[in-house]
Parts: sequence; C-alpha cells; structure tokens
Amino acid sequence: MVQINFALKEVNCKVVFYGPGMSGKTTNLEIVHQKAPEEHKGELTSISTDGDRTLFFDFMPLDLGKIAGMQTKFQLYTVPGQVYYNSTRKLVLQGVDGVIFIADSNPDKMAENIESYENLIENLTEYGKDVRDLPHVIQYNKRDLPNALSVEELDRQLNKFGVPTFEAVANTGEGVFPTLKTLAGMVLQSINKSEKSGGGGRSPAARPAPAQAAQPRAAATATQQAPARRPAAAPANRKPAAARRPAPAAGKRQAPARPQGRPAPQPAKSGGGESKGFLVAFLVLLIAAVAGVVFLMMQQNV
Amino acid sequence: MNANEKLRQDRLVFYKDDIDAIDKVLAEFLRLSGSKCALLVDKEGHMVTKQGEIKTINMDTISALVAGSFAATKEMAKLLGEEHFSALFHQGERDNIQLSLVGDRTLLTILFDDRTTVGMVRLYAAETCKKLDKIFQTAGTRQTQEGAPSLDSSYGDNAKDHLDNLFD
Repeated sequence: MVQINFALKEVNCKVVFYGPGMSGKTTNLEIVHQKAPEEHKGELTSISTDGDRTLFFDFMPLDLGKIAGMQTKFQLYTVPGQVYYNSTRKLVLQGVDGVIFIADSNPDKMAENIESYENLIENLTEYGKDVRDLPHVIQYNKRDLPNALSVEELDRQLNKFGVPTFEAVANTGEGVFPTLKTLAGMVLQSINKSEKSGGGGRSPAARPAPAQAAQPRAAATATQQAPARRPAAAPANRKPAAARRPAPAAGKRQAPARPQGRPAPQPAKSGGGESKGFLVAFLVLLIAAVAGVVFLMMQQNV
Repeated sequence: MNANEKLRQDRLVFYKDDIDAIDKVLAEFLRLSGSKCALLVDKEGHMVTKQGEIKTINMDTISALVAGSFAATKEMAKLLGEEHFSALFHQGERDNIQLSLVGDRTLLTILFDDRTTVGMVRLYAAETCKKLDKIFQTAGTRQTQEGAPSLDSSYGDNAKDHLDNLFD
C-alpha cells in the first residue's frame, strides 16, 4: 500500500520479489544492494535459515531521490520460495505495490514456476487484489543454463497476462537492474494514474474511473534482452553469490559463500499437525524479527 | 466503493497537520511514560513519524521488522481463534519494545529502558492509541469530504527520467 506523506514529502512503495525456491530472488536483491549507489541504498536485512535460505524475508530500502518534489522510496522484499512457507509469504505480500516474479529457466523447475505464479495470484486474491491490476514483471533467471528453456516457451507457460519480461543471469548481475527499473517505473506510473482517474477532489457521485493502475498489456510479450553478450562459460547456477551480506546481527546472517547443492526443500507438513507447524513457524519468525530489532537497539547503545 | 474510498484503501496519506498532531501526541506520551522513543509504523513497514531518542537506529529496517513481527503474531492469533493481538511486548536486557495497534493500519512502537516500567508504558500507550485513532478518523473523514489528495500530475512522467538516471 503506497504511503504518501505530504508532511515529510515522501512517497513509500513496497515491491516484492516473488518466485519458487532457489529461483534467484535473494540473489537479485543482493545484486541491487551491491551495485546501487551508496546514497540511494539502505542496509540489506535478511531473516534466513542457517543454510542461507530465506526464512521470513530479505529487506532493503532503496531511495530513488526526489521526483516531482516528493522523496520516493522503495522497500524491496523477497519472500521464501518453498511451498512450506506459504503463510509467511502471504504476510510479506501484504500491502504490496509491485511484484517482480523470478522464474527459473531450468526445464525441471517449470512446474514450480507455474505453481509459484498461481500461488501469487491466490495470495493476492486473498488481499482483494487482482494480479492483472498490480504492476508486475517476470524475470527469466538463469539464462546461462545450457538447457535453459526458450523465452518463447517460458512466456507460453507463464506469462498469461502479457507483462514485460526480462532475461537475467542474476548471480552475475545481468538483467537485474533493467527488471527493477521497469517495475519501479510501472509502480510510480500507477500511483499517478490512479490519482488522475480516481482522486483529486472529485465528487463521490461522479462515476469512478478505475482507481487501479493499468497494466501494460502488450499484445505480444515485450521481452527485453539483458545485454546481448552472454557469459562465455555457462557455469551452473549454484555458485557462490557475488554479493556479501552486511555484518551479522541477530536475525541477520554473515555472507559465507552459498553452499553448492543446497538441501532439498522441506516437505510440507500435512494433516492435523499443520496448525502446530504454522504456530511453530510463526514463533520462529517472530523471534527472528524481534532479535533483529533488539540487535539494532543494542548497536545504538554501544 | 467510490474512487476516493478505493484510493483510501489503496494508500495511506498523511498531511502536515496530521503529522503535527501525531507528533504532539507522541511527545506527550514520551513525557508521561518516560519512554525513550516512539515510532508510528504502518502495517506494511513504512515509518510514518517518530519522536524521541533515535540516534543510530536504522528507521527503515526497524519499521520493516516491526511490521513483519506484528504480521507474524497476527497469524498466530488467528490460529488461536483471536482476530489479532492488539499489544505485544518484547523484553530485552536493557531495552524493551512495546507494540500497540492503532486503528487497523498503524503500529505504535515504543522503545523504553529501565527508566520506566512496562506498566507505565502500557497505561499511557492505551490512551495514546485512542488519541491517535481519533486523529486518523478525522483525517480520513476530511479526505472523504474534500477528496483524495493528489501528487503533482507530472509525477509519473518525471519518474521515468529519474529512473533512467539512477539505473543507467
């Protein structure tokens, strides 16, 4: 949910990187953090497991500077991708203003891509949002894989709504910023469009124009290429992340090189233990989040 | 739902008068309760305003963590049959945090140490939340009557040029 603070002359928006597990959401954010200008970025905070898998969210504030007199800030979040963490994914999605869907170009991951995209639609529906009205783009990551699916095939299976798509090799940084830039532009345009169509002092009796942002629905998919030059060698996607995460705090992680061959996603719990499982998961998340806050406070007191 | 109501649902808007009124209430709260600082954070993790000793705490990060932790406990509450937990307390060795829900969109986040007690903080927090809720209701009514606020009409177009400079 966009927050407009006319007192502080600030506009705050929330963008979420969504997608199946290990598709490159956190890598995208790490690259943004690594390469964004110092004066525009804040700390990268990660609430993750010991194995560097996102547990609750990764978060990074990005200040876009002054636009039409308003300091415009984006809060960038990632979500945990594994099916098991759907409840926590929903929490992070609350109030989202734009989504970058990170899809894995590996053919073996196509089913997970589709499931995750449908999951996104479901979760948005629970918040009363229609994905067609929400600014979102799709990034086809891991284009360096030798067996990567073609963009046409990925579009056919995933891009139901004709949103802008981007090719990327996130762990080298390729395609990361074009994706974010386009999504950011769409979000900011949508703020303005809904103002013009729905706000500005109109009488409530006037027929309301749609207040939601119009999605750029291309008749054909507008696939934007990352820089044409591709890496000469096509390393496997599971290589150490280029970006290091910031200094550790409670709830944050050091940035060791990501281990090759991460453990398989945890199986979803079923049956009567599901509620208890969720309760435990939320307790863990709560402890991690609070630990982060307390650590920040301790840093202040040092 | 008319367009203005839709806009109100889709965004949180604060004017200077609202922020001034909120700041006044928060300052009074700090004086009475003996707390170190008070932040108002919306449920999506954006900070609205703050009062008190902030020093080096990263506001963006703390706002995101507070909103995240509140969202997690809200789901826990639902599993237990509650709508939400309207107040949360986290105790540290030196510093503590009290979170209180204000209306349905913002969180009053209070940082305090042993200069006061949790009972004192909760006592004044409850009153403060009522005052803040009143401010929000007044602001919301005013927006409905006067129409939704508007950004400069060139905002979206300016954004494109700005993003080109930032990301290229």
